[in-house]
Amino acid sequence: MSAVLPRRRPARRRTELGLLILAVILTGGLYVLAAEGKAGSLPANIGPFLAVIFALLLIAHLAVRRLARNADPVLLPMAGVLNGIGYVFIARLSPTQARYQAAWTAIGVLVFVATLLLVRRARDLERYRYTFAFLGIGLLILPLVPHIGENINGARLWIHLGPLNFQPGEIAKLALAVFFASVLVERADLLSQPTLRIGRFIFIDPRYLAPILMAWGVSLLIFLAENDLGSSFLFFALFIGMLWIATGRTLYLGLGAGLFVAGSIFALKAIGHAQSRIQAWLNPWAHAETTGYQSIQGWFAIAAGKVFGEGPGQSSAGHIPEASTDYIFAVIANELGLLGATAVLVAFLLMVGSGLRIALRAQRDFEKLLAAGLSLILGVQAFVIVGGVIRLIPLTGITLPFVSYGGSSLVANYILLAILLRTSHDIETPQAIPPGAAGIVIDTTLTGISGIQRESA
Amino acid sequence: MPEPLVKFLTYVFLALLYLFFLRVLRAVWIELREPRATAPIPDATAGAYMPPPEPQRPGNSRRKKSERLRIVEPAARRGQNFDLGDELTVGRAPSCGISLPDDTFVSQIHARLFRRDQDLWIEDLGSTNGTFLNEHKVSAPAVMHRGDRLKVGRTVLEVTR
Repeated sequence: MSAVLPRRRPARRRTELGLLILAVILTGGLYVLAAEGKAGSLPANIGPFLAVIFALLLIAHLAVRRLARNADPVLLPMAGVLNGIGYVFIARLSPTQARYQAAWTAIGVLVFVATLLLVRRARDLERYRYTFAFLGIGLLILPLVPHIGENINGARLWIHLGPLNFQPGEIAKLALAVFFASVLVERADLLSQPTLRIGRFIFIDPRYLAPILMAWGVSLLIFLAENDLGSSFLFFALFIGMLWIATGRTLYLGLGAGLFVAGSIFALKAIGHAQSRIQAWLNPWAHAETTGYQSIQGWFAIAAGKVFGEGPGQSSAGHIPEASTDYIFAVIANELGLLGATAVLVAFLLMVGSGLRIALRAQRDFEKLLAAGLSLILGVQAFVIVGGVIRLIPLTGITLPFVSYGGSSLVANYILLAILLRTSHDIETPQAIPPGAAGIVIDTTLTGISGIQRESA
Repeated sequence: MPEPLVKFLTYVFLALLYLFFLRVLRAVWIELREPRATAPIPDATAGAYMPPPEPQRPGNSRRKKSERLRIVEPAARRGQNFDLGDELTVGRAPSCGISLPDDTFVSQIHARLFRRDQDLWIEDLGSTNGTFLNEHKVSAPAVMHRGDRLKVGRTVLEVTR
């Protein structure tokens, strides 16, 4: 009998610490350069600035060291570097927003630690699937409640509680990803095997497709009620992507594309907001001063950046509407050029890649799907907003994870990161079965497959 | 700071940023190579089985009875052989000698094979779905002979030489 001993991977945490220190150096360097470029002098608060970001990342690192010591070593530093670069650009655009962003980053790190503390095993989340479903849907419709919800820029996504503005949809994404993962794990078999026979052809029983149609309906409803194109696309893409991963059938991608087209046409007919977005995408020059203004200024900024950029703090990209949120990618491309913009994309690529690596290494279906789903959230968000800014797809207001200004997004992404790291730790720490314990059957969860025999976990 | 210096430092920053990514890739790369370079850790995902070290006891060196277990069902793993040492566990846990992670009807530690007085015995370890020797439920340890069929979950194994 060859027992697998729990592998301790202290090297992973050493790697992480090294990368985090590099991340702090990079952020500090960029901060100094931006201040030099903008005001021609060293920033006054560089000492405290460096101390604070180092402290925040160190707290996160120590929390991982203590609570998830076998977790992936590159995710946290990548998030740190993106967060740091984002912060420097926000500080350069608007000192007021920078103060909020700093506070939200601190909250984000604390929530990160709290999530690691609270979720001791990623697979425990599976048990609370309906709690998460209701939580997600509740959070989604919260902004529609009068007196709490608020319209900002034509989209009703915000709630304000006293002085605090919050976008509950950001958290809802995570809750729904957990829900999708647990439901799909249960039904993957049903959804991947065609069972309904009509004449000579075998179809997948439409009854099992109900959840997909429901996801489609919900995303369309959000779209209609809140005017939020970005999020509804994200939900839809998340669900179809996870369905595809769970069943391994390309059919669902086609079905998803079809439903998406149908939904888009319907939305275009029904909502003026969507029409103006499409117009601004197809022909921005027709309305260069109104609907197309933002896109056009964005391209000018990207084009002016050339390969090496105009230098941190030296451009005039600040006049683009929503420069610190939706258009932060254009500002980065302007000041750091093609190389800087590519670096941001590489960072996302590496993060999504690490997430998918966790999914590949996971042995439990739920952990697999959860990690894949969370990586999808990161990837789809980055794709939607960067694609919108460079006019690959119509622009929808969504945050660039970790980079954009926005507290709810930052907090949600830190939670996402914590769950990914927790999953990673779980799969790298095999349960040790002590040699004397033979005979104890570990019967933890029963994933319900109705069969003749009872299934033991 | 003079402007050329700022420009130069910006280039340095970009270079450092890409160096950071290289470090990240290197960290991933080292991990990917690690398992092969160090100790042979049985890869539970592939279901690969590492034969346990042969017991080198002087009194028992004849090795006349060197039975093996061969998977008959499921078809996906048919023909896979397991050498039997002195003791072997069967189950879904990766630490089992015969690890069947894909069969959800097998308990984590399902059954135990052991040798007593040159005979090969099978004992059920309180599994949920039971162990069957030639379609008879194993409720007490039983002796196995060549040609016997052992069923755990949906997996059927045959005792061969």
